[in-house]
Formats: sequence, structure tokens, C-alpha cells
Amino acid sequence: MTPRSDVLTESRTKRGDAGDGRALGARITRVDGLAKVRGAATYSLEHRPADLAHAVLVGSTIAAGRVRRVDQSEAEKAPGVRLILTPDTIPALKTASNWLGERPSEGPYHALTHEIGFQGQHVAAVVADTLEQAVEAARLVTIEYDVAPAVADLRDSRAGAGTEVEAMTIAWGDAEAALEAAPAKIRREYTTPREYNVPIEPHGLIAEWQDEDHLTIWEPSQWIAGMARTYAEWFEIPYENLRMISPYIGGGFGSKALAYSYGAIAAQAAKLLGRPVKLAVTRPQTFTAYGGRAETRQEIALGATLEGKLLAIHHRAANETSTTGTWVERCGGTIAIMYATPNFSSKHRVVPVNTVLPSAFRAPGENPSAWGIESAIDELAYEIGLDPLAIRLLNYAEHDHQANLPWSSRQLREAFAAGAERFGWSKRSPAPRSMRAGSQLIGWGVAAGTYPMRRTPGQAIVRLLADGAVEVLSAAIDMGQGTYTILAQTAAEALAVPVERVAVRLGDSSMPWAPVGGGSQLANLMVGAVHKAALAARDELIGLALNDPKSPLRHLQANTLPVGDGRIGDLEIGAFLAAIGRDHIEVLRDTFAENGKSADDPFKTYTTITGGRTTTDNGYSAHSWCAHFIEVRVDEDFGTVRVSRVVSAFDCGRIFNPKLAESQWKGGIIQGIGQALLEEGVVDRRHGRVINNNLGDYLIPTNADVPDIEVISVGVPDFHATMLGGKGVGEVPIVGVAPAIANAVFHATGKRIRDLPITLDKLIG
Amino acid sequence: MRNFAYRRAGSVDDARRAAAEAGAMLLAGGTTLLDLAKCGVAAPETVVDITHLRGLDTIAHDPSGVTIGALAKMSAVATDRGICAHYPAVSEALWQAASAQLRNMATIGGNLMQRTRCAYFRDPVAFPACNKRNPGSGCAAIGGVTRNHAVLGTSQSCIATNPGDLAVALVALDAEIVLGERRVAADAFFLLPGATPQREHAIEPGEIITAIRIPVSAAACNSTYLKVRGRQSYEFAAASAAVGMEFEADGRTIRDIRVALGGVATKPWRVHAVEAVLKGQELSPEAIDRAAALATEGAVIHGDNRTKISLVQRVVARAIINRKPRGIA
Amino acid sequence: MPNAAISLRLQINGHLHDLTVEPRVTLLDALREQFGLTGTKKGCDQGQCGACTVHVDGQRVLACLTLAAQVEGRTVTTIEGLGEEALHPVQAAFLEHDAFQCGYCTPGQIMSAVACIREGHAGTDDEIREYMSGNLCRCGAYPNIVAAIRQAAEASR
Repeated sequence: MTPRSDVLTESRTKRGDAGDGRALGARITRVDGLAKVRGAATYSLEHRPADLAHAVLVGSTIAAGRVRRVDQSEAEKAPGVRLILTPDTIPALKTASNWLGERPSEGPYHALTHEIGFQGQHVAAVVADTLEQAVEAARLVTIEYDVAPAVADLRDSRAGAGTEVEAMTIAWGDAEAALEAAPAKIRREYTTPREYNVPIEPHGLIAEWQDEDHLTIWEPSQWIAGMARTYAEWFEIPYENLRMISPYIGGGFGSKALAYSYGAIAAQAAKLLGRPVKLAVTRPQTFTAYGGRAETRQEIALGATLEGKLLAIHHRAANETSTTGTWVERCGGTIAIMYATPNFSSKHRVVPVNTVLPSAFRAPGENPSAWGIESAIDELAYEIGLDPLAIRLLNYAEHDHQANLPWSSRQLREAFAAGAERFGWSKRSPAPRSMRAGSQLIGWGVAAGTYPMRRTPGQAIVRLLADGAVEVLSAAIDMGQGTYTILAQTAAEALAVPVERVAVRLGDSSMPWAPVGGGSQLANLMVGAVHKAALAARDELIGLALNDPKSPLRHLQANTLPVGDGRIGDLEIGAFLAAIGRDHIEVLRDTFAENGKSADDPFKTYTTITGGRTTTDNGYSAHSWCAHFIEVRVDEDFGTVRVSRVVSAFDCGRIFNPKLAESQWKGGIIQGIGQALLEEGVVDRRHGRVINNNLGDYLIPTNADVPDIEVISVGVPDFHATMLGGKGVGEVPIVGVAPAIANAVFHATGKRIRDLPITLDKLIG
Repeated sequence: MRNFAYRRAGSVDDARRAAAEAGAMLLAGGTTLLDLAKCGVAAPETVVDITHLRGLDTIAHDPSGVTIGALAKMSAVATDRGICAHYPAVSEALWQAASAQLRNMATIGGNLMQRTRCAYFRDPVAFPACNKRNPGSGCAAIGGVTRNHAVLGTSQSCIATNPGDLAVALVALDAEIVLGERRVAADAFFLLPGATPQREHAIEPGEIITAIRIPVSAAACNSTYLKVRGRQSYEFAAASAAVGMEFEADGRTIRDIRVALGGVATKPWRVHAVEAVLKGQELSPEAIDRAAALATEGAVIHGDNRTKISLVQRVVARAIINRKPRGIA
Repeated sequence: MPNAAISLRLQINGHLHDLTVEPRVTLLDALREQFGLTGTKKGCDQGQCGACTVHVDGQRVLACLTLAAQVEGRTVTTIEGLGEEALHPVQAAFLEHDAFQCGYCTPGQIMSAVACIREGHAGTDDEIREYMSGNLCRCGAYPNIVAAIRQAAEASR
């Protein structure tokens, strides 16, 4: 659907770039940047309370079975040791509700248990006066096990077929019949391995009890409210008594949104010892203290006319989950909406294996889904003899076939056009192995990506201070996506003050509610909330000026007054506030009404993921879109692949700060390069253990793996998507990168790799 | 890591005495020792810091070769003009190793003593069996994930790959390891695992590496180090080769050639068989391919490391081609 | 005495600091836990990420694989000592080019970049990429990091 023309006109002036003088939409430098380049940004684990003790975790060395005995006698004797927690000694907590707000059981919760479900599961924790003492004492804890047979991973012959997730079934038409009758068809299997978020800041926390029912947690958090709820429920203290502080987050990519068992362990230790406890998860432990992206398997069949027009998509997917919980890596997302097809069928299964419960990693679901369909459509293009870009345009979905609704906006055609133009796609030689430079084969690949708009209400306080400065307060977080900056821009624009005059405070549960910083929703939503609060603050200021008996401006008998640059009318705001006997004006606003949600239960809205709108609840289907054009150079003798050029075009609606959005897009693309070529949890099936649990063996891209990357914005403001016309920025850039690279590798070499990552052994083997 | 006593060696003799003490370990760059202490593989009682010893970090060129002090940093040797000019394989091996920071820390002597990256060796808690760490306890790697394990020089006790880059170049260029009074050929300095994989170097208690000596040769002058890996940088070799070649006056007949392999063997792997078939031959694609095929004679596959065989043959061939004189097809 | 603490006098950012610690304490933990100099980050604690990069005698090294005891008598510079008044040109270039997102690897990147330029390893983009590969950035700021270093290197010539 094309946005209304008045909206478009509005947008052109508001969309903005460096030159338009407006705060929102300008390429403003990160407001938290100065602290970060000076090393002065203090991350949660860098808080230094007095009398801090250090906790170190001991992990299981078996993947399944039972702890028979924990021998802590040597560890107890070690210098500085204050406490050792084991399954035998750890006190029970109350079971917390999950992110849907449902309590799985009313029974007790033990953060350490005798039952072992995966390698690395915490079995004990040692607390000592210094980190060095705790590390060494933890090594002295010995554990005896009764070992049970384990299922190592999805490919383990003992894994079985798992169970179907009914809610994931998507179907229209008759895909099987249409496939049977289709003149052209392909059927292929695509797989992705375990992948890990590996933010450079490892997880961990500092827990400090103020008294027996007041707890403060300093922990990197993508979701202050959700994690605070978990801690409060575990310890059965009122939510208000739990203070969660997370001013900066050293990367999360989905992994820092939930409270995990190590958090419970640290907080219990702090309570038992009566002193603050820091628990820093070690880098190897980050591979098992929480889950990354689940291993996935997809079988895709495409039926088409001989001209390449899709007749049917048939999709069967599965992902691994743990033996104790269910994680669905929803592989039916991208494939159901990317292309127009009259017949579609998708089903999804989950297969329990002995792993930590997998979790969210950038664009969960849409990412592996795109790996499947964007590889398959490319294979179909070669099968039929069509250009890979042409087949995508031929099957362009003009509306959402799954929901049978118009798009809120879909500038994907524009993204293909802009990307192809900048990349020079028209100069591509169609045949595989037909482009070379010296000893290297060159390949060009294209793939598309998408991510749905998730939308939850938000809340913010805006304060106008006597000196003309502005404060914005929210429990929202900034893990690098630029929340501090664009909220400052939002308030600055609404109140006509320079951005430097706005101080934004985030990451504290004592501040107004914010939803999870995940699903590419936070920045957009909070821009809306701050915009609303700032305008309300402005209105309140004007109202006081016009109506307060002590107002020096009352005599003007005006209908309104200009506010800007620290003044109202011709008065300094400070002088005005002094005249009416106030030192600041503060307003709190939320965006329940704008999001069509009831404001009855803010606690549930913000502390669970049930408070959001669906992607299609206003009669439009709202998603971000992108198109990646990627060149690879392959040394065929060695099987090494080098990404040499990337041009990606994005439709993320209105962009509030192009400088920061471009950084996120490039970052997502680079994680996609890692996913395509390097990243893989390597499992020793005999032991069910991920053996490359460190940054020297779980390889993520280095600077040398990354070429210049060109990103282009083709979005238009989409007011069906969000209040101020933005769409999600953070997740969509990783979606489609891996298939674009695999497609380029095929074009270079004639070898189709359907099992990520594309390592050298697969190309020369 | 277990606590230890720390002291600084006052002299080379002091360091030597410390090297003979039970429980004492020498600390140079620290990039191996502290890493392994954190893994729980090393547990010294005393750490003797030798980095403050004077005079052991010099790079002294003379007409017959170069003597590199054991405490010279990898970064200093990599950028030394004489090394770049006369022993380019050494410089190339060094700057492609580790990272700029680690090369500023690690010393040449310490680099030769670095331990394998075998994941089973590095995790004593999860994998108690390791003949290198605990002789007679078995090998957890055999039958496990072995894509990075050795195909050459393995034994039933150990299949761990030697991770070195520099060592490969040194073995190719006939370098000697100077242990005070005694000198050992680089090739002989690194030991095969055999039944004693815990013993990796021909160094006796009380001995320390004081220098490395590389003789001048035409082959060393025309040498290269080619390293192949999945990641562009900051990764150990999937396969590598150091090659040095000298040609007759005709510019095409090989007078002298040295070839050693890395990333595929339990020690830096000199391949005399490759050298023998090429010596006296005119360089041709056929001759190169024939010779490269000999690089992996005697290779044994363990699980999923088959790729290393074809890969290292291709690396050898490419390294030879990279060093051929201009104008030779 | 294996468990005895030792007394050290360390020169950090131009100031002398006295410290009594066990010999096994790394420079990284001493900086962060003892001195509160938390600008030097712990990303892996095993020499694999570069977040703890500091300068010792002007050379970039990893604080996680350096003992505090080793640097007695040497000069240590951390991110906090790089540009105490005005920003160092590399810090300013990182800010201008948005060469970070979460900011956690940033102090290590900057310390590494300052040394990279000083070493003469910032001549071309490819050289910068190779010689900055010891500093991992999971947010993927690499292209902007290269741009920032290129600018700072050109300005320093």
C-alpha cells in the first residue's frame, strides 16, 4: 500500500538528513559516545560496591544424568572462600513466571539441581573475597555423576523427529497437489548450526540486598522490566523493591533479555552472605549459561511454471530445543510472506536434545527462514534459467498472502532497484564459474530479508528544568542501537532545544516503564512515547504561562506562546518557573492509546511479551525489508571465501538518525558474514559438549574479514507501522545475508552449499 | 589459576637454575603460560620472569646468518629489515600469527614452546584423558571432533597439531635453536609424540633457549610462508607451507629447495621427499603437482580431518608457484 | 611462599600506584578491580578478543595475559590516560565516524588503533584491517573503525 500523499509530503520534510536543521532525522553523533571513547561509560559489572565478594560457577561435565555427590571439602579450605552453593545446599526460591506471564509451576525453584540436562549446566558456585580466590577454589570442587545417555544435537540419530508445533502451521491453497502438478520444481534441505550471540561484554551481575526485602541488581539487560519481575518473583519481594540497573549494555543481540539461573545464584549468595556479590560469567561459560540460536533443518519444495512463476511452496522445518523447555526458532516467517504463491504449506517441529535451552539471537526465526527460501528461490532461478533478481521480481508479493492484508509499506522493489543499480548487477555474467580475477573465482549473489514490526506501548517522563535543559527518563535501554541519542533528538525537536541540552537517563527500573529492547521495536516505540511526553510538557508550560495567576506572561492574553531555546515567549524558562514558584515541569505519558491497547495492566504489558500488538492488527501487515547484493572471491584450490563487496538497500520506514541506523545495518550484515562463513557450535557427540566454547575457536569476523559495505535507505515514513513512521532497524540487516553469500558462492564455483557455515572443507571436499 | 611465587631472574644463569627447579616455570611473553594456567593445564609453583634480562632481545646479522635473541618480540623480528630481506618466510610467518598485541608480547623463544590448540588438551576438567597432560591417561581427541587435528606424525597416543607458524619457517630454513652452549637443529628440536607426547621439545631441565640461528642461503632469501585458514586473520593455520628456493643460472632449474608444512602435523613438518624430486628439475606445473602430492606421504586420517591432505598439497604447490622466477609458466 | 601477596609500585597513566596483590593477579584485574580503571574491558580473559588492550612502554599488549607484577618498572597507559584533557585524535575520529555501537570493545580498539598508527601499520585500508584484527567487535563497527583510523592516520602524517 502506498502511504497517503499528505503523509508523503509531510515525510519529505521530516525525513531529514544532515542539512535540514531538525533534530529528529539528523546525522547526530551518538550522545553516549564521548563517555564510550573515553572508557568512562560504566557497564553494570563495573559498579564497585564496598565489601564485594566474587562468585564463580562450576559447570557439569556430563550432558545428561544426575549429580551423585559434590565434594567441596578442598574448596572450603581454600583461602578467602566464604560460601559454596551446591544442589544440596542452595535454598529454594519461588518459581517465577515466564515471559508470557505464566507460572509453569507453583512449586519451588532450585537454581542448582541434581538433574543434569546439558554439558555446562551449573552444578555449584563458589564465593570468595577475591576473584582469583573464587576461580581457584571453584577448580577444587569435584563432582561425581551418574551418567545417562545423551542426545547431542539435531543430527544425533537418537534425536528422533520431535513434536509438531501446531501454532506454527501455516497453509493456504493445496501446496502438495500444486507441487505435484508443477512443471518445474525443486526440493532441497537447508540447515543451520548452533550459533552464539557472543557479545563482547560477557554476561553477569552484581547483586546487593539493602535489607531483607530490597534487592538491587546491576546487570546488562535488554529488558529491565522483564528481568526485574523475574528476580522479584524468585525472591517473593514486591516488584517495587527490586531495583535493576543497566546504564550500558556491551552488546546483547537477544541474549540479555532474560534473567538466567546464574542471576538467582548470585542474588542468593548475596543474601546468604549479607554482602554484595559479583558473578561474572566466563567466556567459555557464555556458551552454556544461556542459549544461542538453535540448530535448524528445513526441507523446502518449490513448484513453478516453466517461466518461473511460483505455484506452490512446501516447507517442513525443525529446530532443536532443550530437554526441559521449548524454544521455537520459527522458520516459517520469511518464507510465508516473501513471495506470491497461490499454494503454501509450512509445518514446524521441535526436537529435544541435551543442550541449554536455545534463545533469541538477532532476527530469531526470520533469519533461518530466509536462509531456506532465499537459497531455494535462487536454486529455482538456475533450474529455470532466470536471473536470480528477475525471479524475485517476477514473484514479488504485492500484498501479504499469509494474512491476506495490504502491506503497511513495502519498498522492497525499490530496494532491489537501488541495490542492483549501485552494485552494477546488470553487468553480471549469468553462468556459474564465468567471472574470474587472477586465480580467484568471482560470484555475485542477491537475497532479500524481512523482519516484522513488533509494537508495545512505552512510557516516558520529560522534565523541563529551570536552566532550560531537558531531561528524559525511561527504563528503556541502549545496547548500541542509539536509544540515548534518538530520544534526545526526539525531545529536542519537540521542545525546540539543541540536542546537547537534553539529558537522557535509561536503564533503571525506577524509571518509567519500557518494553523489551528486542524485536527491533524499542527505539521506535520510545520515540513515540518521548515525543508525546515532550509535547505534553510543552503544552503544560504554555498552559501555566497563560493561566497561572503568578505568570508574568498571563497579561498577554495570548492563545499560545512560542517555546524554544530555553525560552517561553520572551522569558527564560528559568525566570518563568521562578516567577510561578516552580523549579521544573515534569510530565509522564504513555502510548497505550496510540497502540490501541488497554492501559489496565501496565505491569503485564511491560513485564511480559503479551503486551504488544500483532504485526497485522490495524488492517495492515507491517514489516521491514531489505535486499543484499554481495560479491565473493573464492580461491578454489583452498576453498576459502572472501566477501569483497556488499551493497544493501533497506526499507525501515522513517529513519530517525541515519548515521546510527547505517551502523546497525552494517553490523547486522557483518554478523551475517560470520553466520555464512564462520560461525558454528561444534559438538562432540560422544560427550554432548560444544568444544569450541571460546573466541579463538568459535570464530566471528575480524576486521580483515569485512570489506567496505554500502547501505542505502529506500524507506518512506510508515504511519501504519508506528506513530512517527519508523520501522524496525536492528534485526532485518542480518536476514538474507547468509543466502546472498551462498548464492554468490554458487555463482562463483557452481557448488551449492546448503549447510552453514560455508567452510573451506565443504568447498574442496 | 593456582597462586604462585613470582620472581625475576637476575641473569641467564639464574634463569637456567630456575628452569631446573621442580614446579618452576619461565615467564617470557606470558601468552602461553598464563593462558594455560587459566585453562588449568599449567600450574606453576614459581613463575620466574625472564623478560627483564638484558641483551637477549637483539637481532644480529652477520655474513653467514642471523642470531635472534630468545627474548626478541615476534613483532620486532617480523619487521626487522634484514629478516624481511634475507629470510622473508620468517617475517611472513610471524606477521600472520596471532594478533598485533600478542606479537608485541610473545617472544621468539616462547613462541617455539607454545602448546597445541587441541580442545581436548586445553580443557582438563571436561576431558581428563590426555596423554600430553597426563601420560598414560589416554587421548580424548581420537574419535572426537578432529577436523583440526594432525594427519602427519601422529601416534596412538596423540594426534594434536603443532600450532606454530614461525617454527615451520625455521625448520624449512635449517635454523638452529641455541640452548646456551648446545645447539639443536630446529627439525630435531620438535619431537614426535610417539609414546611420549608430553615431551614436545628436545630441551633438558636446566636448559633455556637463548637464541635462534638462521643460516644465510639463497633459498632463504627467496622464501615465503603461505598460510590458509577460514578466517582472514587471527586464526591458526588450516594448512601452511614455508618454501624457499634457489634456481640455477638458467632461471628455471631448481638448485635448492626447502619445504615445511604447518597446521597438519604434530610438529613442524619438513618434507624432504618433495625437495628431492624437485631438486635439479625444471619448474613446471606437472613437476610441482607431482612433488606436492608427496608432501603428505604417510598421512593418517582421523575422523573429519581428511581435507587437510588435499589442502596442504595445494598450499605447497601454490607456495612454490609464488616463489618461482618471473616469466616461468 | 605461594600464597603470599607482593607489593608492587606501578606507573599507570603517569601516576605511581602502590598495590599489594597475589602474584597471580593479572594487569587487567588489577586495573579493573583494584584501581577502578574499568575503561580496560574484559571480553574473554584468554587473549582472544583484544578488549583489554593497553600500552606497556608504548606497545599495545593484552592486559589479560600480563601479570601486574610483570609491569613494575614499566609505564602503563590505559584509555583513561590517553586524552585526559582534550580527546586524542583517534578518540575524536571514532566519535565522528560512529566507530562503535555498544562501546564495550571500543577502549581496546582505540588503544590498538593509536599503536597501529604509531607502528606505521595504517598505510592502507587493508593494512589497517589486518593490523586491527586482534580487536573483535561483535556489533560490527569495522568499516567505521577503518574509516576513523584512516582519518586519524592521515591527520598524523
